[in-house]
Amino acid sequence: MTPNGGFAVGLILIALSVVEPGPRGAAVLVALALAFAIIEVRAASLLAARRAALVVLPLALFMGLVWVGIVGEAPYQIAADAVGTRAAALVYVAKLSGRLFFIVTVIQLVFLRFADLTPLQLIRALALPVAVKRMLAITLSLIETLRHAIDRAHIALIASGTLTRAPSLRNALHSWRLIQAVWLSAVTIMLGRMRDKWPVENTMARLDAALAHVPARVFAGDDRIWLPITLGAAAVTLLADLVGKP
Amino acid sequence: MTRRELISGPNFSGRSAALMALLHDEFAAECFYIGPYSEAALSGLTSTIADEIDLYRARPATKSAAMPASLGRPVFPAFDVAAFSRREPQTLSGGEQVLLALHAFSLSSYPALAIDTALEQLDPQNRDAALDYFDRRKGLAANVAMIDNRLPPPLVGWTSRERSADTHAFDCDPRRLVADLAPRQAPAITIRGLTFGYRHGNTIFRDVDLALAGGTAYRLAGPNGAGKTTLLKLLVGVLAPNAGELTLGDKPYRPWRHGNRAIALATQNPDHQWSGATLADDLARRRAAFARAVDAECFAEPRLEKLAAALGAHSLDVHLYELPLAARKRLSWLWPLAGALPWAVLDEPSLGQDLATREQLAAAIGQLTALGYGVLFVTHDDDFAARIPHRVLAIGDGRVKAL
Repeated sequence: MTPNGGFAVGLILIALSVVEPGPRGAAVLVALALAFAIIEVRAASLLAARRAALVVLPLALFMGLVWVGIVGEAPYQIAADAVGTRAAALVYVAKLSGRLFFIVTVIQLVFLRFADLTPLQLIRALALPVAVKRMLAITLSLIETLRHAIDRAHIALIASGTLTRAPSLRNALHSWRLIQAVWLSAVTIMLGRMRDKWPVENTMARLDAALAHVPARVFAGDDRIWLPITLGAAAVTLLADLVGKP
Repeated sequence: MTRRELISGPNFSGRSAALMALLHDEFAAECFYIGPYSEAALSGLTSTIADEIDLYRARPATKSAAMPASLGRPVFPAFDVAAFSRREPQTLSGGEQVLLALHAFSLSSYPALAIDTALEQLDPQNRDAALDYFDRRKGLAANVAMIDNRLPPPLVGWTSRERSADTHAFDCDPRRLVADLAPRQAPAITIRGLTFGYRHGNTIFRDVDLALAGGTAYRLAGPNGAGKTTLLKLLVGVLAPNAGELTLGDKPYRPWRHGNRAIALATQNPDHQWSGATLADDLARRRAAFARAVDAECFAEPRLEKLAAALGAHSLDVHLYELPLAARKRLSWLWPLAGALPWAVLDEPSLGQDLATREQLAAAIGQLTALGYGVLFVTHDDDFAARIPHRVLAIGDGRVKAL
């Protein structure tokens, strides 16, 4: 399977989950995602599910607290000026959380499928214009820069006695200083690169050259199995959704 | 015929500008550049070692060539590229980043290489290997220009371009910081059973026992990547050990839990230690953090202004990032040499400094020790270390041995 095929399958699954399929359509989507996980990602699928749960669970709890606990009715009931119930609010929160969990899991599955590729290799293999690939590479590098800046700021503020490594009241009081120090570090790191290193080397041209490889065929190998299946599932999901509607 | 150019002279003599002018005017339109610290040594565009090398690797003209993920042929016998394959570029030590940059250059098609004091971060073995790699007789078909404070001209086979100081704006004398300090007996630091390893890395320390007495200077010595900076981070509480105990005097000391209360750290890259944008901001935060532990007189503004002036800053309101790097490095000594805390810890303090300043700094550290403060310093600069009466702590293979 190519990264193009993997991302295409992932995008179709996410797009279908967003159009709010009915129970039959949702069952088809879940079955397809499960098949992709078991066949393509295998044991690492559990990691994908765990990460998705870590992301979605706090959000689900918060939504439950607001809609079920405080408001006591679902948003569509409020919009229709109908009598609301906590049960309807619970169903609403469960549906929304389930959809978010599905989307985050699919994103994780697609990236874990290509975990053996380095970020540069993954971006290079995508059938996208070089300008878009460059944007992806730079966006990823900004994440690294932020991580570097956080590390720097931690060293500075812990060594200067402002923060402690372990959780503490001092950390809570001075967390804004950490944020300030992180941004200051990130900006100076970027300026350092852009002032000397990048202009002298023309590093951006090297990046373009490193990303310029275009695959001979956009889709290949198992893409030719997964894409028809996914497109078929999309048709079934949309049709299943239409059946029974006036 | 390839060229080898050494740009020498004191700090603030315009060496970096001369290096850039040389590249643009005489070398090539594009040159590989290794600056003093990570943001100017590595590209900053990659998150893996393999990608950093891949980014610079010379590529065939055809677009269809898919480059393999190989890490490339090692340039330095001492640089085990495969051992770095699981590390992230930003987690490498300063010296390791320079080695990675040199490796990436060796696989690139750049016709020229420029190095701005970066080789000073290498241990003697790696430094010799790098200089040997630049030796014209060894066949490197690229021009090389370099600034290095530890290579006195003439260097065989190199053309020297001597610069003279063009400003006295940053003149400093670190000895003035310790001239008025009162004697103080620093409590001993005792380490028992220290074990530490990074999450995705090897074990750095294994069951280390160490006793550091106040009134003594200790030099941490070891090859690049041995864990020298890691030990300093453990002592100030930036990192927590996997096992082991520290005591300060006769009391347990857990800076990773309760905060640093005894050690004034000057980091290798000075920009890793600022907790504010101006010197006044930085010192105000230290004042707030150490208000209970430090004599208020130590933080009196006239005194701080005097200390800053001795290091070349004529105002506490100076914006740190507007200063040249060598000036920022000098200001990074203010905190450890101010005498606020009983232990001064300095990571590569002489990096990027000219000979006169290195001599003055060594004298200041020696004086601090004579007053009873404890000093722990890391350096690959043997001449600098030789000027400070000290004991050597050798780091390697997970151990720290007092020699």
